[in-house]
Amino acid sequence: MNTDDARLQLAYGGLHPDRIRDLIAERRSAAAVVRAIGAGSVRTTDRVRAAVAVDAAVRRSELQALGVEFVAKGQSAYPEHLAELPDAPDALFVRGELPLAPGVAVVGTRRCTTYGKRLAAAYGQAIGEAGWCLVSGLARGVDGAAHEGTVASGARGVAVLGCGIDVAYPPEHAFLGRRLLDLAGAIVTEYPPGTPPEGWRFPPRNRIISGLAAAVVVVEAGVKGGALITAGAALTQGVPVFAVPGDVGRASSQGTNLLIRDGAHPVLDADDLIAELELILGPVQRSVTTDQVPAEVGPVLVALEDGASADELAARLDMGPIDLVRLIGKLIAGGWIAEEGDLLVPSVPAR
Amino acid sequence: MFGSTTSVALVGVEPQPVEVEAHVTRAAQSKFILVGLPDTAIREARERVRSAMQSSGHHFPSRCIVVNLSPADLPKSGSAYDLPMAISVLAASKMLPVGAEAVVALGELALDGSIRPVRGGLGAALAARSLGRPCLLPPESAAEAALLDGVDIRPVADLAAAVRATAVAPGAVVEPPRPPEGHTLDLADVRGQMAARRALEIAAAGGHHLLMTGAPGSGKTMLARRLPGVLPPLTPEEGFETALAWAAAGRPRGRIDRAPFRSPHHSATLAAIVGGGSGVPVPGEISLAHRGVLFLDEVGEFPPHLLDALRQPIEEGSVVVARKGAAVRFPSAVQLVGATNPCPCGYSGDRLVGCRCSQRVADRYKQRLSGPLLDRFDLRVRVTRLEAGELAGPRGEASAEVRRRVVAARKRQHARGSLNRELVGRELDAMAWSPEAKQLLTVAVRRQALTGRGWDRVRRVAATVADLDESELIGEDHMAEALAFRGSP
Repeated sequence: MNTDDARLQLAYGGLHPDRIRDLIAERRSAAAVVRAIGAGSVRTTDRVRAAVAVDAAVRRSELQALGVEFVAKGQSAYPEHLAELPDAPDALFVRGELPLAPGVAVVGTRRCTTYGKRLAAAYGQAIGEAGWCLVSGLARGVDGAAHEGTVASGARGVAVLGCGIDVAYPPEHAFLGRRLLDLAGAIVTEYPPGTPPEGWRFPPRNRIISGLAAAVVVVEAGVKGGALITAGAALTQGVPVFAVPGDVGRASSQGTNLLIRDGAHPVLDADDLIAELELILGPVQRSVTTDQVPAEVGPVLVALEDGASADELAARLDMGPIDLVRLIGKLIAGGWIAEEGDLLVPSVPAR
Repeated sequence: MFGSTTSVALVGVEPQPVEVEAHVTRAAQSKFILVGLPDTAIREARERVRSAMQSSGHHFPSRCIVVNLSPADLPKSGSAYDLPMAISVLAASKMLPVGAEAVVALGELALDGSIRPVRGGLGAALAARSLGRPCLLPPESAAEAALLDGVDIRPVADLAAAVRATAVAPGAVVEPPRPPEGHTLDLADVRGQMAARRALEIAAAGGHHLLMTGAPGSGKTMLARRLPGVLPPLTPEEGFETALAWAAAGRPRGRIDRAPFRSPHHSATLAAIVGGGSGVPVPGEISLAHRGVLFLDEVGEFPPHLLDALRQPIEEGSVVVARKGAAVRFPSAVQLVGATNPCPCGYSGDRLVGCRCSQRVADRYKQRLSGPLLDRFDLRVRVTRLEAGELAGPRGEASAEVRRRVVAARKRQHARGSLNRELVGRELDAMAWSPEAKQLLTVAVRRQALTGRGWDRVRRVAATVADLDESELIGEDHMAEALAFRGSP
């Protein structure tokens, strides 16, 4: 049995990450653990035994059908800064492209206030616009809002799940997940496909969130909950923690206020956050405009004058319907022209 | 002294066989008792059956006659059971040869014994085919039943003919209804409107719901009416489904191979559009448009509750109507085409006439054009009003040409398994997108020019454009076209 196959089979057991690490340490290799589970010399459930017993080739074709990649620690697609953690996951299931450079994590409670949600979205967007990758948990509340912000900026983001990669949890974020992938982001989990969202699986996933990040921003958090676990993991990993101050006495800010008392950097608005993060991740390249002007734009703007209907434009440019519609679509998408009633008009302000 | 023949009741569009049993016994007083959940029209059948039998020269037995309609718990209505009742009574009083009543019969009797048309002829033929019996129908209903192969249909004009028809083997050959000679509307009549014509072609190719916005007289209705002409012909199966729905509504379907086009007015009731009515539910406009086009002119004028009621049937392809204990399912796989003015006066954004609406009124009108149903329109296009010079322009491309491309595109979708209109996110993800296409979509998203819901809508349309191009890979050009029809009502 080759090592990668054994690790894949073992990952499919869906055991607690600590247990996987202990077992590998004890038996020296993943292959030995798989054999031991098969032989019944490791105490576990029948379900896990059956899952581990399935041949790696079968699993690989299942993963291919799901469009999921299996990335084991030590492989080139496995981020180095995550591999350095003592409790790094043995392997990850990945959809999309996992960025190799560390990003910025924005986390917080699921039961957040609108204040928290607005801040999270603003941070997510600012981080995206700064060109950094946002890392979060795709959960309800703060996590989801941060992802929304990044997606709105058109930048990359990574979502770390506490369930199987093909399990839509929370269901209302299925679409958000897809948009994340469309924007060249990634969805990651250490649990095998089909794993339901069980409570005990979420705390361990938080160490991956902080492990993929160069800084962790806690927007809102109670005194107990996943966000503080992430902050705790960040502290042990040596990742700087930022916290958003809130009203003293308000449950959803008690956690962040505690973090500040204990030494976390307080952050204010999005600009303040970016300025702080530049000290860690390096200065942001503020690009004036990255898009180049498509060749078609000039003639079209001339032909439009101050507005023309689609048919008039076609006549002036001597075009057939298909080319015309394609041209209009491209220029509207790029923001060069706009539809104003019957007319197509040059878009103002120009870029 | 017992006779039994078969008829049908329509449950939704599904014909259900109904046994019409007659039992004739000696009695001091002549009686005619009718049981088995008949409605008033059926109760009155007693008088019609009696008179018709007498007018046709039969002796009406002065005995105790009990007629039972079975299954007894199925509500039945209408006058179509007259003929089967008469046949059963004749059989029970030994006025027919033994076994002659083993037919499926449907028809209303006139007092002089002639037989009048009824709805459900096609259903009766379907039941007759599954029972392997001959089918006796009024001549008018026989035509619609002749759409079905393998049924021995015997058109009968009066009761005497019906009695003769029960005896003889195979009946006269009935011609299916002749297709009315087509005055089909041709796209060649539409001048200019390049973008709208292309949108119509894409809508036809992918079955996408299409929304057209434009000033009064810009040609929205003209375009919509030409959509059926570019749709592929219905398969025999699809044609039969629509004919069943039409038959249930008591309307014969002319061209069975042509996609229907229905255009209900915005003042129509909920029952008229989704189906209903008191007593036995009748299919509504959405079912008459099954496998065809449902055109909502002035879509903003339809009451919101009506548009909401349309959403589910359109999504699921069938509608369940519940009435008085009976819940029936009607088909409703339609392609929706909406047309709307951009504002109440109609001239907002018009290049020739100015808009006279106040901002507040215009805003409110726009608001009516949002909501869940309007989210279903994959394609949105502005139809511009033409200037006098343009109206005299050259004729457009003919429908036949466009239809050829549409049929080819549909063939590709058929091979994949589903109409592009029905593609969901996961299936879209699995298609081949060129990096440039993805990039263009990303740009559109980044410009905030695209809402979340619009995402899949654009991708569905792009897939259809690629099908029209006979391209496996969905490229930048295809995506650009889809983005051009994203519009905002």
